[in-house]
Amino acid sequence: MAHYIHFRDPNSKEIEEKLAGIPKCPGTCFFIDVINSTNIKYKTELKDWGKRLNNTFNFISFLNDFPDNVVKGIGDELMLYIPDEDLFSKTAYNNYFALLEEIYATIDNLVNYPVPDTFLNCKVSIHYCTEVYNISYFENANDYYGIDIDLTARLMSKAKANRIVMSEKFFTKVKNDLVDKNRRIESTSLSNISPVYMEDFKGVPYPTEYRFLDIE
Amino acid sequence: MNITKEKKDDINVLQVEGRLDTTNYSELEDLLVRLTENNEINILLDLSALEYISSSGLRILLKYLKVIKAANGRFMLCAMTKDIREIFEISGFINIFEIFEDQAAALKS
Repeated sequence: MAHYIHFRDPNSKEIEEKLAGIPKCPGTCFFIDVINSTNIKYKTELKDWGKRLNNTFNFISFLNDFPDNVVKGIGDELMLYIPDEDLFSKTAYNNYFALLEEIYATIDNLVNYPVPDTFLNCKVSIHYCTEVYNISYFENANDYYGIDIDLTARLMSKAKANRIVMSEKFFTKVKNDLVDKNRRIESTSLSNISPVYMEDFKGVPYPTEYRFLDIE
Repeated sequence: MNITKEKKDDINVLQVEGRLDTTNYSELEDLLVRLTENNEINILLDLSALEYISSSGLRILLKYLKVIKAANGRFMLCAMTKDIREIFEISGFINIFEIFEDQAAALKS
């Protein structure tokens, strides 16, 4: 559970002591953004777009033990965070490669579901976070803050419908898992991963390497 | 995961036992590839012993549903537990497969 930060006195020294004692919480952050929902809201009624949003959120969040790791929803976007200690103790997937495969499969299923107008398409950004803290400024709410959370959000600018964008920092974790299992990425569902690109994201003081995976 | 295969009439009955997720979906996929490449396109998946299926597992089922339908075959499922049925309902997969109570009902259909 998040460390709840709430101090009324803006000059409080106590808050500084409390914040200084909060440990980092390394793990994987990913955002799943439902796309085109605004467009659909103008073209259809609540009973149509509301249903498709319901179906899509259920699909994403119910499967793969993801419900445990949904941090919050912001409009049409879900934020999920899996701390490393959680990831390693999961049963459906317990490493970064398997997590990526499950995310890929989730989007692939949405893309290829044969009944039209059931779901909405999504785009995803993923980053492995080390500069991150499990804190919340709202009681009984969960949240994560840190520069790596901000970078995960920035990566989304490189995503589009049915695309997963990931930082090279996260992809390195995936590659290491494949090496451990003596597997090559070409023999997995992730064989179409792009080469590495580099971008200067707003507010990030150094260029960030990233890759993407398009699902057709 | 354990998969047992037997032929009943013209139908390949595959019993999937355990969990179907990213750690082992390729085992089922390899079997489905062998069957479809041999034109064995009437397949019944008995899910009575399936404890859990993830998105990766669902993806393989969807992929081969399309392959088998395109070949004018049948890809049927039967004997879902309550937990598996819930996953199929939430994902909408309950509406795209032929699903039967048990093997007998599927084989009779």
